[in-house]
Parts: sequence; C-alpha cells; structure tokens
Amino acid sequence: MRDEGRKVDALIVGTGPAAAACAKRLTDAGYETVALERKELPRRKPCSGILSPRGHRFLIENFGPLPKEILHSPSSACGVKFHFPSMRTVSMEFDGGPTPHLNRKFADHWAMKQSGAEIHDRTEFIGLEDKGTHVEVSTRKEERIVRYRARFVIGADGPGLAVARAVYPDYAARLPWFVVGQKFHRIIDCPLDDKYFHFWFHPELGHYTWSHARDGRQIVGVGFLKGGNFDNRHKRVVEYLERKHHVRLGPAEEPEAVTANFGPSLINRYIFGRGNVLITGQAAGFFNMIAEGMSCALHSGAIAGEAAVEAFRSSKDAQRTYRGMIASEVRRCSDQWNPLQIAFGRPHEADFRGAMKKLTPGERLGILREMFSFIRLYSPLNWGRQILWQSLRRLLTGRYPATRWL
Amino acid sequence: MTTANISSTDILDHVAPDSLKGIPRRQTNPARWNGGSWGAFTDALRSQNIEICEKKQTCRVYAVDSGGLASGLPHGVALARSAEQISAILKQAQLHRVPVTVKGGGLTTEGESVAFGGLQLDMRAMNRVLSVDAKNMTVRAQAGIYWHTLGEVLRRDGLDYLSAPLNMTSSVGGTLSVGGIDINSPRLGCSADQAVSLQVVTPTGEIKECSESENPELFERVLLGYGQFGVITEASMRIRKFTPLTMHYFYYGSLREAMEDLQLLVRGDAADYCGILTVLDKAVNLLVAFDSDERERAFFSGWRGRLRGHGQLGFALRMTWHYALRPWRIGEALYLLGRKRALEPAFKPEHHLEKNKIVDRTVVFSNSVWKFWGGKRMVIPDLATSAEKFVEAIERGNAVCRKYFPRYTLYCVGIKLSGRRERYELSCIPPDAEGFAYGCEFEPILGGEDYSREYLQAFKNEIYDIGVEMKTSYYRFGGMMKGYIRRVFGDELVEKHLAMKRAADPAMILNPDVIF
Repeated sequence: MRDEGRKVDALIVGTGPAAAACAKRLTDAGYETVALERKELPRRKPCSGILSPRGHRFLIENFGPLPKEILHSPSSACGVKFHFPSMRTVSMEFDGGPTPHLNRKFADHWAMKQSGAEIHDRTEFIGLEDKGTHVEVSTRKEERIVRYRARFVIGADGPGLAVARAVYPDYAARLPWFVVGQKFHRIIDCPLDDKYFHFWFHPELGHYTWSHARDGRQIVGVGFLKGGNFDNRHKRVVEYLERKHHVRLGPAEEPEAVTANFGPSLINRYIFGRGNVLITGQAAGFFNMIAEGMSCALHSGAIAGEAAVEAFRSSKDAQRTYRGMIASEVRRCSDQWNPLQIAFGRPHEADFRGAMKKLTPGERLGILREMFSFIRLYSPLNWGRQILWQSLRRLLTGRYPATRWL
Repeated sequence: MTTANISSTDILDHVAPDSLKGIPRRQTNPARWNGGSWGAFTDALRSQNIEICEKKQTCRVYAVDSGGLASGLPHGVALARSAEQISAILKQAQLHRVPVTVKGGGLTTEGESVAFGGLQLDMRAMNRVLSVDAKNMTVRAQAGIYWHTLGEVLRRDGLDYLSAPLNMTSSVGGTLSVGGIDINSPRLGCSADQAVSLQVVTPTGEIKECSESENPELFERVLLGYGQFGVITEASMRIRKFTPLTMHYFYYGSLREAMEDLQLLVRGDAADYCGILTVLDKAVNLLVAFDSDERERAFFSGWRGRLRGHGQLGFALRMTWHYALRPWRIGEALYLLGRKRALEPAFKPEHHLEKNKIVDRTVVFSNSVWKFWGGKRMVIPDLATSAEKFVEAIERGNAVCRKYFPRYTLYCVGIKLSGRRERYELSCIPPDAEGFAYGCEFEPILGGEDYSREYLQAFKNEIYDIGVEMKTSYYRFGGMMKGYIRRVFGDELVEKHLAMKRAADPAMILNPDVIF
C-alpha cells in the first residue's frame, strides 16, 4: 500500500513521451521521480504513431534500440505525401531516413519503464498547491485521495491539460480546440502508398485530413474545430478518397478521437507553468506542422527534466532556467509553421522545397495557390496577423519573444 | 503485448539504429545502474575497513563533470588511498558487478567521469609527488595529483614537466588516460607520451607495474585507454629544466592563413610552443613562445618574414577599416574590442613576468584560458586530423560554430607523434597522420544563456559528423559520444578493443559507457 503524502523529488503528471524523457533526465541524475497516469498501463493512445527522425534518434540515444513490440506494421514510414484538390501530389522522404511507426500503447509504456521512474497508474491528478518550497498534489486512486509532496511538478499530460488548468484556470477556455479523430477500415483496394503518411490540403475536407496504413488496415483521420460532427466529417473524407483516389475501404471500425491544441506553436503562445510547476510537451503547446507531437514532446520533456535537475543542483529558479533552455525547442517547433522559414529556410525534416523544385513553375504556383486557399480555412481564428508578426520577430531577432509565453 | 502484427525482420530493419541516415545511433545516455548488489558490495568493503560514503550531500558533489551537461549520482563515493585499497574495491566490484567510475580532476565534458549509479572512485586523495630524479630527469607521482601541484613541486628544484593539458586542475592519471594537449605538444607530443612507467590496478584488482619493457601490452592499453584497462595509481614521467618563456602574438583576419602558418611553424620546429586561439573567426591569434633567446632570435631571423600575421597595430588598422565599411556589425566590433581589453592583461600579468618573460606559465595558460573560455557548462567538441585534412576540417567546424552560436572560440595546436604506437589505436591520433597530427577545439562562449542539452548536443553532433565524413579522429579533450566510436574507428577495430576489454574486465565494471 502506497504512503499517503509521499515525498518525492519530482512528480510527473502523464506517461507519454514528454513524461518519459523528463523522467529519464531526473532519474539519471538520481532524483526520486514518480509519474502519474490516470489510466491503467499500458493504455491506448489515439495517434498516427509516425515519429519524426529527430524523435527516432532521441528514443534510441536515450532509451536504447526499439523493441519490435512497440511498432505497428508497416514498422516505418519513409516520408510524407501532400495531396491537393487539383490532384497534384508532392512527395517527400524524411531527411533522416525511415522513421518508426510506433504503437503508442506499448511505446509510451516502454519508454516510461526505460526511464527508471516509479510509475503510479490508475492515479488521477486532481489538483495542486504550490507552497514555494514544494508542491502539494492531490490525486485520486480507486476512489481514495492520495497526496504527494514534490519539489517540482511537471505537467506532461498532453492536451488533457489537467496541470495547466490547475495553474491557469481560465487557459483552456481561451484556446480554440480541435477534434482529431480517426477510424480504421479493412482495405478492399488502396492505391495510396503504404510507405508514406498522406495529408490533404483540402479546405472542404477539414483542417487536418490524413490517411495511412496500419496493421493491415487503413486509417482515415480528420481534424476540425470542436463542435463539428466527427462521423459526418469522416464519411466525407472516405467518400472523397473513393471518388478521387479510388480507395475502396470496408466499414469504419474503432473510432477514436481526441481534442488537440494546435494553436500555441503557430502563434508562439506556449505555456510553461509557474513557480515549481513546469508544463511541457503537448500540454505546453508543442505540436509539429505535420501533426507529429512526439518528437517535440520528447525534446521539451527532456528540457523540463534538465531544468529541474539544474534547479536542484544550483538552486536556480526552475522557471527561469526552463524558459531559457526551452527557447531552442520553441524555435524548432514554431519555425515549422513560420511561412518565412518555410519559404526561405528548411524547418521540416522532409525537403518540401526540394520536392517543389521537381515541379514545373506553373505547378508550383498552382500548389502555392491551393495551400493559401487551405490556410484561409483558419482565418476565423485570427491567427494570420499573429503568425506574420511572430515570423518577422524571428527574422529580425533570431528568436520568438518569450514575453508571449504564459 | 502482441507481436502478431510484425511480419518480418526485414521490415524492422527500417527503424533499426542503422536505418538513420548519417550516423548510426546507440544509446548514449546510459540507464542508471539499479543498485541491485550495492549492499553486499559495501558490506564486503567495510569488512576490509574501506570507507564508502553514501551521504546524498556528498554524492551530489559528484553529480556533474566539467561539461556540466550530463547529471548523474553515484550510490557511494570512495576516496582513493592506495593501490591496495583500489585493488580490493575492484575485486569486489567484479564479484558484485558494481560499476566503478573513476574521477580525477573531472575535466571530461561528455559525462565520462560522472557515475550513473555505482561507486565513484575519487583519485584526488592520491596526490603526492613520490620522487624526483634530477639525474635521469624523471618524476614519480601519484596519479590523482593535479598538474598544477606537480609543476609547483618540480619548480622548487628548477624542473618542469614536459607537456600538460591547458587546465592544470586535470589529474595526471586522467590526462595520461586521454592524451593531454598543450601548445608545447607540437614539439613534445601529447602528455601521455611523456610517461615512462606506470603503476596500474587492473579491472580485476591486480597491481601491476608497466612500461615499454615491463608489461608493455598493459602500458600501451592504459595510455590513451580512456580508463578502460585499469586505474593508473602512480606514474613516472619525463621532466626537463624549468625555463621562463617569451611569448609573441601574430594576428590574422583569415582562419585559413593562420592555420597554414601554424602548420609551417610546426613542420619546421620554428618555435618551442605554438597554437591558435581565436575570437570568433575574426580575430585569429597565432601565439608562439620560446624557452631561450637563441630560439627566439632564430625565429625572427628565419621564420617571421614567412608568416602572414600582423602585429597588433597593423591588425588594429585592418579591423578598423573592415568595420568602417560594415557599420551594421558594430556589435561584433565592440565585442572583439572588449575581448582584447580583457584578455591582454590576463595573458601578460605583471606579477608573473620577469624581464618580459613569463615565469609561471601554468598560471597564465591555465587560469587565464579557463577564466575567459571556461564556464559552468562547457561544450568542446573537437577534431583531430592529419596535416592534409586540417584546414578543411576546421573551416567546416567553424561554419557549424557560426550557425549555432553568436560567440565562440577555436583553439588549434599541432601534436607531435611518437612513431607508430599501439596506444594511438582508437585514440585521438588519426590513423592517417604522419609525423604530426593537428587538433582543434570548437568552444562556444555560452555566457549567461541557458541552452538546452539537446541544442548543445545537436551542435556537437554536427562537429562530430564532420569527423565521420572526413575520416578524422577526435582528440577528445572534450570527450566524444560513445555513439560515434564505431562509425569513426570502424567495427573491426572497436571489436578488437572490446574483446580486449572483456578479457581484462569480465564484468565490464570499470568506467562503463565511456567507449563500449
């Protein structure tokens, strides 16, 4: 039976990639670390599972070679294909080579166990109180209230934002929320190349539309602003794929949907916590452009862990250290959405500009027009001006202003 | 867990470490040892009256090395007292499979001297000079002694060491294990090459004396062996007469010209000491120094005219003109000026000068260099190349520095090779180097900025990748990631050394995760 009021050095809320990376840094440095998970582990996690090459490297360098049990089939993706309403396709291979197709249910649990931290699953975070010298945390486990007392709390609980809500009660209400849902289909006939992740820049299909193969089935996913109807949206995509790409699929099975906070990384509105509470990963707003949140979750989680270790060692202010260290990850993530970086830099781990160069000037112009038309889908969110302003600041100063972070 | 959906091993290969383009990856951030047999290990040692400190406060002192990036925590710390005590520790460590991480000055930067669990063996209590033989010009010292202390003791008798690393708080044992490079390395080779004989405790606890004539295999394995084949407890090294030295600086606006001139001086044995220190790649300083007036005169009559570097005034005029045409780079100009004003007096401190000669080079080189280039966190990836590859490798490394950091410095020296030695295998000496090797450290000035470890690691990776592409080596003053070893040196050589390591250290407990 676990002690109530358990004293630990660091308490991590969440057991995803950010949590595992953070735990790894803390346990390596010899700090007693407990990670909380609301569900029973291993737990299911709706996700494409396609990790970027940078994330792949991080996993290997920190947790060792990937065991086959944590991979779906096909076990890797070699790149991304962008599809446009004109039926043009831009095909790009990942810079770092094929990347793993992770089975999040087992991959997350594996990384978490590899980190060496103590894992308390079926333990739901309820609330916290930062006492200055430590943080008191309340959780619920099997209808009992279990308390912890930690020097630092790290919120790595993804878009659930339980820790963020405890620190910033009105934050979640200020965000535009998206629903990202996917359904699995038996494949009757699918001409889409199963080595690639497929993404549609099509304003009529949704804010985020994708498809890829997994374990002998085809995933069809769609993202849209909260309030829309998942089934209708999904059906529209399936019909589109059949009509335009001759994809014939069996009935939809196992629908799964999550809410997602795309916005912060586009407009540099990250949240990193307050006092002794650090927020990291997707909970902080990290999300790559190709909707791959795992690599920036791993890296930002590690940085949160480093900041906590540094604060333990030097009595430096953890928030200040964290915000200083996280700037590089903010640059990396927000650059992916920055139109100036996309136009003149190389922010992605796939060569979009190189792929575009293979096209005729007319085709390039057409694709840019279609991308612009797609981006207009986001105009009700009033992000355009903010993105441009942040892009200019990045160009002039080399960084995104930290003053916009919560 | 289900494995039913995994169809073949061929598919899995796409996400194997080798599938990553460029550098195959390995787990470079090791898992902390779980401490399973720690209790039995410490009980056995305490029964032999060997003290192990397990206090958290004490263990935390050993959390980082000079790099300040990798944080670890030993289960306990032992202060090295004698070869016999270390022997007893290693015997029990083999028995209980407890990792032992040895630390001298802790000047590693990749966490090589940081214990991720297990025992931290602190060598610094073995810090005495045992004997000075002025007739045969050798000194015998315990391996935990700092170079600075050794230098002070020798100077009482008008003697000096041959070649020591820039940071004088390195321990002798640690330096001999990794190389040790200084601005007198172009003439005297790396510090490891000045060792005459060693007392070593092998990973299985045997105490052995070794030299070129006694246990030569062990001697060659331990020197430049990264602590894999034994703990050096005593070292006999060659020494020389102490001489004050005269130093001169030549300034270059071109990195390439300075490097070519450095090579010219090294090849021609034109100076007793020479090296390059830069501020960014704008103010490149070739420094030369001499032990005698004769050598100094010979340099000025035979070599100075062939150098393209300027004196201070000439260089100042050139820089003024350069920045007058580029007023938008005023910030950079002011930085260079500020750096000059801070550095110059530090490198010519009046209290260490006599008749314009530097009488305490350890203070000047060690204190000043580390005061202005060191920091709480240090990132110093490096490249060691043959003469032919030197300029290209350093220019490419310089471009990487520019990409990542607004302020940085390069430090380049030549390294005289002592023939073809077994110790050079899997070491800093590139296999294609003949006569001399050349090394360069790429050191960002981090200042007060909090860079993440991932960012700094990305920088180091890009420098190391240059070495992989150009088939150079690394002089590993700054350490080198374990993940690069195979790529750089090849599987065959690494497997050869791994087999030797397994034979010497069956439980693989001594300095784990440094190379293998």
